[in-house]
Amino acid sequence: MSAPLLDARSVTMRFGGVVALRDVCVAQMAGETLGMIGPNGSGKTTFVNVITGHLAPTSGAVDFAGRPLLGRKPHRIADAGLTRTYQAVRVFRELTVRDNIATALVDAEAPLARAEVDEAIGWLALGGRLDAVAGGLTLYEQRRLELLMRLVQRPKLIMLDEPVGGLSSVEVRAMIGLLAELKSRCSVFVIEHTMKVIRELADRVVVLLAGEKIADGPPAEILTDQRVIEKYLGSADA
Amino acid sequence: MIDRILASRQSQLALFALLAFAVPLLLSGNRYFAFIAGITLVHVLWASGMNLLYGYTGLMPLMFAGIAGISSYLVVGLTSIGWSFWLAMPVGALAASLVGVVLGLPALRLKGFYFTLCSLVIQTVITLAFVYFVNLTNGDTGISQIPLPTLPGGASLHGLPYDLVLAALAVIGVFVLIRLVDSGFGRRLIAVREDDELAETLGIGVTRQKLTAFFVGSLYAGIGGAFYTPYVGFISPRSFDVLISLNVWLMVAFGGRGTIWGPVIGAVLLAPVPFLLQDYYMIKDVVYGLLIIGVIVLLPAGIVGGLVRRPKPDPEIVPATVGEGAR
Ligand SMILES: Nc1ncnc2c1ncn2[C@@H]1O[C@H](COP(=O)(O)OP(=O)(O)O)[C@@H](O)[C@H]1O
Ligand SMILES: [Mg+2]
Repeated sequence: MSAPLLDARSVTMRFGGVVALRDVCVAQMAGETLGMIGPNGSGKTTFVNVITGHLAPTSGAVDFAGRPLLGRKPHRIADAGLTRTYQAVRVFRELTVRDNIATALVDAEAPLARAEVDEAIGWLALGGRLDAVAGGLTLYEQRRLELLMRLVQRPKLIMLDEPVGGLSSVEVRAMIGLLAELKSRCSVFVIEHTMKVIRELADRVVVLLAGEKIADGPPAEILTDQRVIEKYLGSADA
Repeated sequence: MIDRILASRQSQLALFALLAFAVPLLLSGNRYFAFIAGITLVHVLWASGMNLLYGYTGLMPLMFAGIAGISSYLVVGLTSIGWSFWLAMPVGALAASLVGVVLGLPALRLKGFYFTLCSLVIQTVITLAFVYFVNLTNGDTGISQIPLPTLPGGASLHGLPYDLVLAALAVIGVFVLIRLVDSGFGRRLIAVREDDELAETLGIGVTRQKLTAFFVGSLYAGIGGAFYTPYVGFISPRSFDVLISLNVWLMVAFGGRGTIWGPVIGAVLLAPVPFLLQDYYMIKDVVYGLLIIGVIVLLPAGIVGGLVRRPKPDPEIVPATVGEGAR
């Protein structure tokens, strides 16, 4: 069996007295789509922050593509092909869509070629918005731009933090379609509250509760697991 | 037609160069006015350097004048022990740049207002150092009768030729800024200014970009400082105190931060003001105070920024072939 693309071992993250992550082990194979669910405050975003170098964990080890990640700055981690999006959408609001894309290309290690960038712009239906200022886009457009800015960097793994948060149900359906296609472009790690996203996209799902991993398996199994239902699905949406 | 020609940066630069050289020539009959023009040209250089840091990188360095002063004092000191100005100038400017990089280190941690506050403290310390190290700076009394740079053949650089050297520096300064800003470096700085965490996530080494910006911005400060002092013939801690930093900042903010020409226009409009108000010394600071408040309240993007607040598309990098017809 080959080594996982992402291998996080016993990651612990403490903020003063709060333990946001406790001994979390998560492995993801290349090509696999891994979902992560858990109630608010269970440590999902913190997990992404640690993996992508935005936070230094209290203890633990993380390998990506066979190389250790911890201690590397976020821009070095991006260079290695690991990227992320933000729970609250984040684009350069004052810049045009075109300049946002150009900024994503400026220090990309393996940027897409022009024609490929064009193709990605078309895929995300942003061609008509290139001269618009990003802050003026709809949330759904901004989410797509966020995705595009990662894609032009040809990432190996993209970690999406609640990619359908705040979208209308029509947009959620459309975004799920895009994310299903995204899987053919790179490996996907996705945090979601919307179970539909996890059910339709994830090959495997990890459940966090109060910073601890309480389940890890195929969605069909996990989403019917009595413990998960009690702790999470019972209290949140289903 | 004229609009089209003026739309390109080359022609704008050519026009600026023409004016920068023509004005001292036209004023050469009146040494006082020509001197004001020369001082203005130094401020164009300074404003361009401040613009790189404040306008493009989003950092407001109130120790800018202090950095210029370090170069000035160094050059004055080195020439007084027999160095040629032309050797002392690059050494002083380079030393100031390195100091600028070190003093820029807090910017790696502090953002916005907090960095500005920190830079204010740094400026205060630099000013105190200028006062304190009497042996080197002659303290508050200052140093007068600073020798003019000598030219090959022994003549000294003064009058119109000095004005023209300052014009050349201003033009080169703006030219270099244009090249920097239009390059990937400029794009990275803007990304840092807009959202440095997002920039980092997109693979931009924020630390390196900030420190490089400090190096280049401080080089502008230092070169300006080196040429300013012999031109004026006098240096004291007041020549490079926080008010000078604020003046240069005001030129950038008033003209339009983050645009090439805004700060140039700001410098051209504001640098002569102290001379015009010389007889009204008491109200000079009040005028500046009102201007600062006016800019912040009425013209947050500056004169040029207020007119053309439109990010420039970059057809080079992302072709607009896809979906352009869709709208
Ligand atoms: N930078 C931080 N400083 C202090 N506490 C934090 C920080 N980031 C997250 N936390 C805490 O860690 C816990 C997990 O938060 P988070 O990872 O955002 O949860 P989730 O994304 O699952 O909703 C919460 O209790 C939160 O308050
Ligand atoms: Mg979260």
